This record gives sequence, structure tokens and C-alpha cells, in this order.
Amino acid sequence: MLSRIADSMYWMARYLERAGETARLMEINLLYLVEAEEDMGEEDKWRPILQINSSEPLYDEQFGDGSISTPRVLQFISAGRTNPSSIRTCLRLFRENARVARDRISKEMWEAVNEIWMRFDERLKGPLSAERAGALFVDLRNQVARFNGLVASTMMRGEAYAFYQLGGCFERADMTVRTLDIKYHIILPDLSMVGSALDYYQWAALLKSLSGFEAFRRNYHSAFMPGDVAEFVVLNRDFPRSIIFSVGHMEGALGIIGLEQKDATRTAFAALLAMVNGTSQQLFAEGLHEYLERLLERLAGFHAALAEDFFQ
Amino acid sequence: MNNVGIPGSKPRTPYHEFYADDFTPRDHYRLLWDHIKATGNSALEAKAHESQLALQAEGVTFTVYGESEEGIERIWPFDLIPRIITAAEWVKIESGLKQRVRALNLFLGDLYGEQRIIKDGVIPPELIYQGRDFRREIVGIVPPRGIYTHVSGIDIIRDEKGEFLILEDNLRTPSGVSYMIENRVIERRILPEFFNKYRVRRVEHYPSLLLAALRALSPRGTAHADIVLLTPGIYNSAYFEHTFLAKEMGVELAEGRDMVVVNDIVYLKTTTGLQRVDVIYRRIDDDFLDPLVFRSDSSLGIAGVINAWRAGNVAIVNAPGSGIADDKAVYPYVPDIIRYYLGQEPILNNVPTFQMTNETDREYVFDNMERMVIKAVSESGGYGMLMGPSSTPASRKEFMALVQENPRNYIAQPVVYLSRHVCYMDGELEARHLDLRPYVIYGEDIEVVPGGLTRVALRKGSLVVNSSQGGGSKDTWVLAE
Repeated sequence: MLSRIADSMYWMARYLERAGETARLMEINLLYLVEAEEDMGEEDKWRPILQINSSEPLYDEQFGDGSISTPRVLQFISAGRTNPSSIRTCLRLFRENARVARDRISKEMWEAVNEIWMRFDERLKGPLSAERAGALFVDLRNQVARFNGLVASTMMRGEAYAFYQLGGCFERADMTVRTLDIKYHIILPDLSMVGSALDYYQWAALLKSLSGFEAFRRNYHSAFMPGDVAEFVVLNRDFPRSIIFSVGHMEGALGIIGLEQKDATRTAFAALLAMVNGTSQQLFAEGLHEYLERLLERLAGFHAALAEDFFQ
Repeated sequence: MNNVGIPGSKPRTPYHEFYADDFTPRDHYRLLWDHIKATGNSALEAKAHESQLALQAEGVTFTVYGESEEGIERIWPFDLIPRIITAAEWVKIESGLKQRVRALNLFLGDLYGEQRIIKDGVIPPELIYQGRDFRREIVGIVPPRGIYTHVSGIDIIRDEKGEFLILEDNLRTPSGVSYMIENRVIERRILPEFFNKYRVRRVEHYPSLLLAALRALSPRGTAHADIVLLTPGIYNSAYFEHTFLAKEMGVELAEGRDMVVVNDIVYLKTTTGLQRVDVIYRRIDDDFLDPLVFRSDSSLGIAGVINAWRAGNVAIVNAPGSGIADDKAVYPYVPDIIRYYLGQEPILNNVPTFQMTNETDREYVFDNMERMVIKAVSESGGYGMLMGPSSTPASRKEFMALVQENPRNYIAQPVVYLSRHVCYMDGELEARHLDLRPYVIYGEDIEVVPGGLTRVALRKGSLVVNSSQGGGSKDTWVLAE
């Protein structure tokens, strides 16, 4: 298929996944605001979200007074037109890439793309109260799930599908690593605390942001142990938002695409795969934060190799 | 030209497609009218709403530029009352279009070959040589089977007497055919009961006709025909149509930057390497097609594609250079072109046209500007045009200066009051002006798809039907008998 179309399929999936994951993160954080301890300021509650959204510097630049408030962040992350990672921007680029690849996607998918864009563009126009935002995030997650259902049931399992899967899994892995890294860092500022049970609400919020709360509870009957959470989110092969699960699906997609004479991609993927085929001891051997940083680098390296081999 | 005889006369009454002079529906509209009366306006309202939702969900859009930098994507405006053309009317339209397209292709072959028509004094040489769309670079190249315009979309209007006249020959990259089909799809979905009452000829096979014509042009033979539709990209106002046709035909939708020419062979850049291209259905103008031959600043085209075409390694549809035949300054000569090559009288007439290079004509037009349409010869889409009846003294003065400065660049026509039709506008049935663009495919033979795009001027009293200027559309029914 055309390199440019492959690029669009890949990015289409990435933007949709990013919009959906951001909505989930925001939705959980809104609930968490209500549950959190009273002495926690709005700043502490929202800054990590800005970091995960990669839009912290832009936010600080745009709001010179440095104040972080719920209405501002809601607006900025949901509807911010200048924010390249806002939900609205992601949905706009999702549709733009779908338009480029219009002749490769099914009619059902294209109609859903339009519906999603029109619906949320409209709803993101006015000021966003916490209440309206909460409903919007839930709706968006449902729409994303519905869309991916349409992909699964109407799209030919060829190269275009494989690039779509690759983009979606990549984005999910990337978001999961960043969410885990930043949240973990906040929840567990001191490594000596590894091994001790910690605040229920904070851990629950982290797992819920990844839709993994209930599954985790079924797998680990103890209190929230930091090591267990990290192991579950990175290494559990059955958990659909774990890193290893996403990377495994990327491997499947690469199998359809074929890697003959695509040395850069093959090497970069092998490096990525090697990192997630470990044990929980290895995660902590070098320090979880260092491990996650390195994982982000490998993901970036894989993306660069893919762009070089396929999108140019 | 003389004898147009309009000065002093009152504004004439436009032809009404739907009603006869006594305000009863014409015979072929009677069944439709009875049905509308029986179901009432609220049923129509529900149908109109339904059609809007369907167009929105399918993303049937076009993009308008000029209002903001980004361009605004609009939902295709659709009126649900169909326009009906009788079998007898269609016979004349069809034969007239075939005749015209055949003659224009012979004309193009002659212009880029021996130029007999100029030597025989039928067409003044300066008319051709000063034409912006005459491409000296390709003189001497003969495209496969001598066909230049594989796809034409010819605009037809109906004058006050109800006679069909040719308004414009669109022979470059005529657009709108996807809307013709979408209109039919929507119409059938929301008004299936209408279709039971009439035998309406089908139009949805257009893409397969086009595909067959494209395949037949492959230099490697029909069995090896790798075809691409060349689009300027998602910001083009007709991008919806480009994706529509690519999907319907199952061909690759590509931009110029997706292709590369190596040793006079065109290739697509794919994820598995280079892949040969045999036929390019291009939806960009000559100017942008090949930066090595035409405009060097074009980033939309493919460097080297004209050499590949010259070498016979790729077919380009429509052929480069076709634009000179729909140059508005050539238009007044088309009846003579038909007589010259075919020895026949034109079946469909032109709209009377004044040459601005002719001094008598020019003076006459300047004296009657309020009753004239003045058009720049190389513009389309309703741009570069003065509509006399709605013009201001300042705009008339400006156009007068433009014409005097470069008379070759303009023609004028007396305003023709386009025929009218009933449209469902915000709860009421109202009359609006419209035209018709049927599509002609020149493959093995010349075929006219029975139907076309009926464009409607949505603003009351307006004569401008272009979608870029607030035009709408109707499904167009050609009756089988």
C-alpha cells in the first residue's frame, strides 16, 4: 500500500487511542478529586495529568499566572485548540487522517468517524463544567470502543488493518508507560516504601485510569503492594492494557506487514520486546522510573524506525 | 455576433420545468405532484430532515475557500424534489453531447497535429496561440486512440422557450459526478415510493464505465492496468469526490508526492517498494501536473510525468492540453468546429456570445452591460465573472477596464434566465433557477450517463448555481420512456 496511507492509518489509530485514553484519565481524576484528601490542592491533583498529556510547558506558557484550576485544565485538555494533545485536537487529526485514508476504510468506519467528530466538536464548544465534562468523557470512551468494534467487524485484515493495529497498540503502550511512571512517582516518592501498603484511593485511581482495577483485585488478593501493581501493568500477558499485551499485538501486526529488508524496524522492535520479556525483579533492579524511561526511549526508537522504513 | 435583439425588451419569463403556463404541473410531473399533495408538507419536512442526516453521517461534503484560511467543509446541499427529463428530451441531449464531444476531440487532435482548421481559416490562429491552455510543449504527441477528453461534464441550460443550450464545455477535470450518484442514493433511500411511479434510468454504474475506459488505456494492456486517481489532497474542494471515485473503482488514491518517475516510467511509493503505474486519472490542472514542463513551482504534480506520457509508458486522463477546447474564447466557434469536422449541423445550440476582440460586439456589450454576463475565458466555478443585472456602476467600470486591457481574455453573453423548478425551501415549495451537467465518457465509444448533476441557485432570484457560491442540487431523473 501507499506509504502515505500507511502513515495515516497508523496515526488515525494513535489519535483515537490518545483521545480515548486521555478521556479515561480525566474522568478518573475528576472522581478522584472528590475522594482525595482535603489537604491536597488543585495544583497537585492536575499537574500530573498535564505531564502525562505532555502539555505542561504549553499550559504554563499559556496561563502566565501559574495557577492550576479544575475549570482551566478541563478546558485546556479537552477543548484546547492550541494544545496539540487536547482531546479535540486528537479527534480532529483522527478525522483528518481518516479522510486521507478514506479509500482504505470501510463505509461504516467512515460514518462513525464523522459522527464522533461532529458530536464532540459540538459538545466541546461551550464552557465545560465538571459535571458535563464527566459525562462527555464517558461518552467518548464508549464511542472509541464502538469504533474499534466496527474496525474489528468491518475491516479487511490486510496491511491497512495492521498499520491501524500497530498505531493503536503503540499509543496505548506509550500512554500506559507515561501514566505509570508519573503516577507511581507521586504515589511512591520514596523507594524505601516499596513493600509497604499505601493509600487505597491513589492506587485505585491509577488502576482505574488503566481499566485494570477489578482485574488486579482478582489477581492479587493482598493490599496494594507497589511491586504487584507495576508487575501487573507491565508484565501481565492477559491484561489488555499492559505493556506486554500491547507489544505482543504490535508483533502480530508486524507479522502481517512483513519485515523483509526492513532492518531498522526489526532491530528496534527486538530491542523493545527484550525489555518487556522480563520478571518483576528486573523491573526494580535498576529502579522502576529508570526502567520506564528506557522503555519510552525504546518506543520512540521503534516509531522512528517504522517511519524510516515504511512512511517515507 | 449580431441579432441578439434584447435591448429595451422587458425581462422575459423563465421557463418553468415543473409547471405549464396555466400553473398546472406538466404531464411528466403529474404523478409526483399528486403524491406530494397527498402526503403533505409535514411528510416532506421529515424527509428533508432525514436527507440532511444521511448526508452528514456519510460526510458528503465540499470545501469552500475564501471565508477563512482553513476552508470550510460544508454538507452537500440537496433538494428532495427530483428534476425529471423526458425520454424525448433526453434523446436530443444525448445525441447533441455525443456530437459535440466527438468534434471537440477531433479538434484537439488537429490542434496538436496538423492544424488544418487554422490553415483553412475557420479559427483565427491568434485565438489558439494566445490561449492560456494551449500547450505548445505537447504538439506532435498523439494520445492513445487520439482521445483527449475521456471525461467531460458539459453544462446545459434551458432558455425562456425551453430550448436546451450548451453553456460551457468542461473538459479538464469536471467535478460533481459523485454528487449525481449520492443524490440518487439518498433520493431512493428517503423517497422509495417516488421510484415506483416512474421508470427512472440508472446512473450508479458511472464508475464502472469510467474504470473500463481507464483500463483500456493501459500501455501494458487491459490485463495489467494499475490505475491511480491523482488528487491534490484533502484540502481540495472536491476531495470527497476523489475518495468516492477511488473507492467505487477500487483504484489507488494518490497525491503527486506518492509518485516518482524513473526512466520515463511512473511508480507509486509503497510500503513494499516501487510499484508501476499505467493510467493516471488526474484531478489536477495541467498547470500543476509536471513541474518540469509546466509550472515549476507546483508541488502537487509528478516531475517527469509528461516525458513518461510522451514515451507512451503511462496514460493521462484527461490528456494534457485538453483545456484549450473549453476555453471560453473558443466556445463561440464550437458550432463551426462541429460543421468542419463532422459536416453536420449542431444538434444543441450555444448561448449567443459576443467576442470582446470584435469592436462592434464590444461596443454593444459596453452599452448593455446590465443585461450581460461577462466571463473571463480561463476561469470556472463562477469566478472572474460579472453578472450584469446584479452589478454596480463601480464593478461595471472595473470590468470595462479589464476587457479593454485584454479583450482576448473575455467573452460576454446576454443574461439567460435559467429555467426554474420547484424546490422545498424551509417548509415551502418555491421556484429556483437551475442548470444541468451531464457526464460524457469517451472510451470504446462515447457514452452519456442518463442523468447528470442538476445544480440549483438556492438564493431566490439568483442565477448562480455553482456550489462554491451557494448552489444546491437535485436528483435528476431521465425517464426510460
